[in-house]
Amino acid sequence: MTSDTATRARVLVVDDAATVRLYHSSLLTGAGFEVSEAANGLEAVEAALVTDFDLFVVDVNMPKMNGYACVEALRSENVGSAAPVVMISTEDRPGDADRAYLAGANLYLVKPVNGDRLVRVATMLTAEVAA
Amino acid sequence: MGLVRKQAPQEPEEVAPEKPSVEELLGRLGDPDADERREAALGLGGVVEAVPALLARVGVEEEPRVLESILTTLAAHDTDEVAGGLAVHLASDEAGLRTAAAAALATMPRSVPDVLPSLLAAPDHDVRVMTAMVLADLPHPEARTWLLRMICEDPHPNVVTGAIDALLPSATPEDAPVLQDAVLRFPDDPFLRFTVQAALPRLTGTVQ
Repeated sequence: MTSDTATRARVLVVDDAATVRLYHSSLLTGAGFEVSEAANGLEAVEAALVTDFDLFVVDVNMPKMNGYACVEALRSENVGSAAPVVMISTEDRPGDADRAYLAGANLYLVKPVNGDRLVRVATMLTAEVAA
Repeated sequence: MGLVRKQAPQEPEEVAPEKPSVEELLGRLGDPDADERREAALGLGGVVEAVPALLARVGVEEEPRVLESILTTLAAHDTDEVAGGLAVHLASDEAGLRTAAAAALATMPRSVPDVLPSLLAAPDHDVRVMTAMVLADLPHPEARTWLLRMICEDPHPNVVTGAIDALLPSATPEDAPVLQDAVLRFPDDPFLRFTVQAALPRLTGTVQ
């Protein structure tokens, strides 16, 4: 993805850990994405109501509204976002990924996520925006 | 005829609604109406004999606001029984339940230290990550020490990064060597390295 096309892709990074948000934001900003942050699912849903994001990068374990509930809310009629969702979690038990896909996620990655991989995935999932 | 003082019409006495008994409240914990369950959970505040029933509801209650009320009531007891009963849910498959349990445990500084050894030794590294979340907010003078121990000793990088993230708000320049050692222990973990590199300048007042 060139920086020219990437600037059109808006990504919302959702994680309660400030360092994780900073890490993912740095990677994606460095690759030319326009990145916003939310500290929990509730903040993410509120942000999605006022901005049409092209991609969500969502943690699972968060206070107030966890990642699964957040994705379900993003896919609900109230928000109605069809943008791709990548869920990233330390949880790698059987069923975690299924739970994510059931909620409406497009991809489930287990931490730690390689930076290059995250950028590749984000680029691929926002290809239509860049086209 | 003398004046006769007219008696003011008597206002009907307001009768305070009878407070439901503990038995009634315990019965309402299983009510189909979520509001009834929530009020019952809050009404059982301070009732020691209700703890087992409330703990039993934690694993089955699906309405978040009711679960929050149950956990609030339980956490106020801050006993070993409650801490042990909530700690098992850190391994729950339900993200909402494990994060709610962690939030409740983080308000129990008297009893969490007693369950900490088993949590720190949990074979499931996800439980240890959740333990770091508990310690991040636990108002206990030893919380920092436990987090530093996790950073130094835990064999899983996700647990160490979780502990580092939990420690950072209260980290001091003296913690810098511990963080640097963590990077050396997990040289292939890009996030751990990033976290430490981002934190060190603030801690040491130098640019890395």
